[in-house]
Amino acid sequence: MAKPRVSFHDFTSCEGCQLQVLNCEDELLGIVGAVDIVNFREAIDEKSDEYDIAFIEGAFTRESDRKRLEHIRKCAKIVVALGACACTGGLNVLKNFRGIDESMKKVYGEAASWYETSPALPIEAAIKVDVKINGCPIPKQEFLEVVKSVLAGRTPQIPDYPVCVECKLRENVCLFQKGEYCMGVVAKAGCNAWCPSYGGRCYACRGLITDFNKNAAKDVLAEYGLTLEQVMAEFRMFNGVFPVAEPPADGALKS
Amino acid sequence: MLPQILPKSKFDEFVGSLSADNRVVAPMAKGPAFAFQEVQTPEDQAAIRMDYDLSILPPKKFLMPQRETLLSFGGRGPENVQPQVQAKPTVILGVQPMDLHAIATLDAAMAKDPADPYYQAKRAVTKIVGLNVAQYANDYQFMADMDTLDAPASGWDLFLTDLGDRWFVEVGSEAGQAMITKCAGFSPAKSDDHAAKVAFDKAKAAACSKRLPYDARYLPELLANSYDSLLWNAVARRCFSCGSCTNVCPTCYCFDVQDKLGLDAASGERVRSWDSCQLRVFAEVAGGENFREHADSRLRHRVFRKGKFILERTGKPGCVGCGRCSTHCVAGISILETFQQIADEAAAEI
Repeated sequence: MAKPRVSFHDFTSCEGCQLQVLNCEDELLGIVGAVDIVNFREAIDEKSDEYDIAFIEGAFTRESDRKRLEHIRKCAKIVVALGACACTGGLNVLKNFRGIDESMKKVYGEAASWYETSPALPIEAAIKVDVKINGCPIPKQEFLEVVKSVLAGRTPQIPDYPVCVECKLRENVCLFQKGEYCMGVVAKAGCNAWCPSYGGRCYACRGLITDFNKNAAKDVLAEYGLTLEQVMAEFRMFNGVFPVAEPPADGALKS
Repeated sequence: MLPQILPKSKFDEFVGSLSADNRVVAPMAKGPAFAFQEVQTPEDQAAIRMDYDLSILPPKKFLMPQRETLLSFGGRGPENVQPQVQAKPTVILGVQPMDLHAIATLDAAMAKDPADPYYQAKRAVTKIVGLNVAQYANDYQFMADMDTLDAPASGWDLFLTDLGDRWFVEVGSEAGQAMITKCAGFSPAKSDDHAAKVAFDKAKAAACSKRLPYDARYLPELLANSYDSLLWNAVARRCFSCGSCTNVCPTCYCFDVQDKLGLDAASGERVRSWDSCQLRVFAEVAGGENFREHADSRLRHRVFRKGKFILERTGKPGCVGCGRCSTHCVAGISILETFQQIADEAAAEI
């Protein structure tokens, strides 16, 4: 069997998730032994339109990008959204709440009219996505899990439970017990509780678990001193595309 | 063997004698909390906190690690499978009475239908030095109700009670006796030592009052009566289904098994890790059916496991009253409070 041809593409992002792929230093030789990488701007010069698996980093923030995304979808058998920007729009979605005009002015000043932009969205808004590797940046182990699963022809095992699970298994002291707060209770695990293990709090960069308890989140964060506005800001940071991040009409969060 | 006395000045020597041919793990501070950690250096030994109140994870983690490789495989077919049973001779130092009871529950659960070779291999080479407690660690504990304030009759090797300048050391097994004879610091307890130990336990019983409004023997039946109660939904409204309650529980033993492949897509490892009935995906089966799709049914299931099912299955308590689940619940859900509330639920139905 021929080695699968793998292609990397980037849209609106910092390209840090592709860097995470290159950070798989111990496994890189194994990866290039198992697949042929045909496009990877950060690592190689070659280019090709013939590939089986496309990893797409970045958010969909320009209507003119739709064509390029559709072209990738047509070339690839499997499309993998790589990182928070591609999966949920990531931090880029923050601009949607500011207003596009204000954001344009802030970034480009008087030259704002030279550039094209639209509200930031996950790439799923333009094309069908088969697998999502969440995170800002992606965890290396999850990238490897997806590559191995694709090679073996099976569904990758990606968690849909809160970061608390991994945090407890590492026996971290809970941030709430230190009087701080954390989004780990509603955030998708898979990062092995990266931030809480190194003294930070969880920002839910990997998205929200299915059926997360929004009202409990609002109540508990309020108990720890956050205003509704601050709770919304926590959800908007990485999860602005979800209804929960929309302004509540009556103080109740949307599901 | 009759109880022994170990002067506190000889404690380091005692730990040193254990370290000679065992991995020693002991409670140490972790931020504002405590955790069982391996004693590897003299600094670690100095950091042992025999005055700890409650560890984040129970000592269960040494008998059934959070993540454990069960076997490795080099390809298809049984001839390519290599079992991986890991068992290091270990002394767990400072196991509190309720955690000794919890280990007895795990021992029973892992001994049958079928016996779990991974647990048993570790248990066989694990020696346990228990540690008496003088009082509750917090308001969530209710060991007096669950009858776990004192050490169980067996399942431990030594049991230490703090008598101020000395340890009162009870001997629970031949391995415990061997630990005593290996260290020169021990001498037989005298009458005033015995009296001090009796006074310690009396003070403990006085300090740790019962907190359930009923005798715990009625717990399984009270739970059965409350199965259709609105209580579960009311409590679950605050529940994140984050699984912290089960992950810190000393008697929870559910696990998940996954095959982790290598890049050759043929070799790899079979790994088991702690699972939690509180996670939405726990009861999901092929085809997408989920037997406990909503948080209330999952929460009720956990409380039933703790107060009824494990007891019925193993004959040992499913809840030892340690209060860890409630201590670590971000939403402040307390199993003690739930157990208290079901008494009135049942009364309301009559």
